Amino acid sequence: MKFVIVTNNPRVRDELGKEFEVDFADITYREVLCKVRDMIYGGHKLLTHPLSGSVKPNETPYKSILVDKRWGKMDPQDASIIENSIITADKFSVKFPEMPDSVREDFQLIDTTLIKSALMSIPEIF
Amino acid sequence: MKKLELGNILIHDVQFSNEGSKVENGVLYVNKEEICKIALEDENIASCEVFLARPGESVRITPVKDVIEPRVKVEGKGGIFPGWIAKVDTVGEGRTHVLKGAAVVTTGKIVGFQEGIIDMSGPGADYTPFSKTYNVVVKMEPVEGLKQHEHEYALRIAGFKIACFLGELGRNVTPDEVKTYEFDNIVESAAKYPNLPRVAYVQMLQSQGLLHDTYVYGVDAKKTLTTIITPTEVMDGAIVSGNCVSSCDKNPTYVHMNNPVVTDLFEQHGKTLNFVGMIITNENVYLADKERSSNWSAKLAKYLGCDGVIISQEGFGNPDTDLIMNTKKIEAEGIKTVIITDEYAGRDGKSQSLADADPSADAVVTGGNANQVIVLPPMETVYGHLEFVDTIAGGSANNIDAHGNITVEIQAITGATNETGFNYLSAR
Repeated sequence: MKFVIVTNNPRVRDELGKEFEVDFADITYREVLCKVRDMIYGGHKLLTHPLSGSVKPNETPYKSILVDKRWGKMDPQDASIIENSIITADKFSVKFPEMPDSVREDFQLIDTTLIKSALMSIPEIF
Repeated sequence: MKKLELGNILIHDVQFSNEGSKVENGVLYVNKEEICKIALEDENIASCEVFLARPGESVRITPVKDVIEPRVKVEGKGGIFPGWIAKVDTVGEGRTHVLKGAAVVTTGKIVGFQEGIIDMSGPGADYTPFSKTYNVVVKMEPVEGLKQHEHEYALRIAGFKIACFLGELGRNVTPDEVKTYEFDNIVESAAKYPNLPRVAYVQMLQSQGLLHDTYVYGVDAKKTLTTIITPTEVMDGAIVSGNCVSSCDKNPTYVHMNNPVVTDLFEQHGKTLNFVGMIITNENVYLADKERSSNWSAKLAKYLGCDGVIISQEGFGNPDTDLIMNTKKIEAEGIKTVIITDEYAGRDGKSQSLADADPSADAVVTGGNANQVIVLPPMETVYGHLEFVDTIAGGSANNIDAHGNITVEIQAITGATNETGFNYLSAR
């Protein structure tokens, strides 16, 4: 397995954790982006767009991003994408600090389908 | 040469009927039982209600799943919505009748943060094109325990079936007007218009997952390579919507069937430009897919010998990266681009509009700032589920005041900042 799923989504951990390497932490949406940013500056390659989905940053609490486990020279395009993603996320205020569980679960589901759609694009898996 | 005639039957009212549904003297008569019978053919749909919403009425429809125009193929190969309702024959030739002015609007709860508001009157009505259509609103509830994927599928297919049922009512009606769209192959058009600039349309399709998908001839767009489609094919429903999240800049199926970039390019074809074709490309989550798809957009634009292309985006955020990749790579082939996007520039309009940018993207048309705030006064009647307004994109917690006024960003309004230009916002 050459990639890791960086996520704060417990559904991704539970549903994909057995089959794939999942780096789960109970952190905020922004903290997931920052964690991935640090990996990119460490030379890891970004595999999925951090702003996947039309559910807006801070509207959904959940984010999952695919990152290549191997590292080499930092990719400036990846750095640009993650930095712009953080700037964009910061434009959106946190909307629902007290979210009903049912809505929370729906956000988890949508984030899971977004990352699954990316996994389908990796030739060696499917 | 391909030729499609669109026979528009102008609809100026919609009424319920206890007899069979019909179109008569520009009035669409709808029999509720006939509509519900179609919806309930699907064992995953537990209940169905039908409402009518006319322009100017004090009616709010939310959350909107899809908007679909009733059409029927009366001559030529195939049928409306190939791959879903009709077989996969290539469409876009012959004659199609349209109930122009009528629309099927589907509503139903799939997830708890769903959105899409259509107000038929008041300030919100100015922001959605579907406040001007005579809407047959179909509210469907799923059987208990149905998973969201199956639920989305059930609502989507029911909407297409109902639109086709209503479209069929216009088969033998004489249209009020007939518009003809002729499309030459590239050899013919090059010979006919040697001195006009060759322009193609690159349409980007949302393709990321549940409530974020688009389909072409029944195929999930995220599993496709960038390809060429004849512009008249989309008029017969070759591209359909499976997405409705952040509904301001998503294309309901109605918009695909009435894409204004296509009709405007046809309008200018042979006059100021030579409309050489339409390229459709996806907006996947996986970055290598974005690279591949934008490589192919540039390759096909070059292959068509384009001097210029118009690129329309669908959505915001990660599609900004697809948009910029398409633009950079097409410009690098020596082809001029004009892009159509929308903006998330903050409530004050002062923030950076897009999540990506490049100096080559120097000709931009905007559909508007989706963060713009609007207050929607209460409506006498709500069709759908108003409780979701609290949790929709553009809404915020407790955004309904004691008088029932809803404060939202216009991103909650269906079609408000549409990136094909199928909207009303303007800087004029």
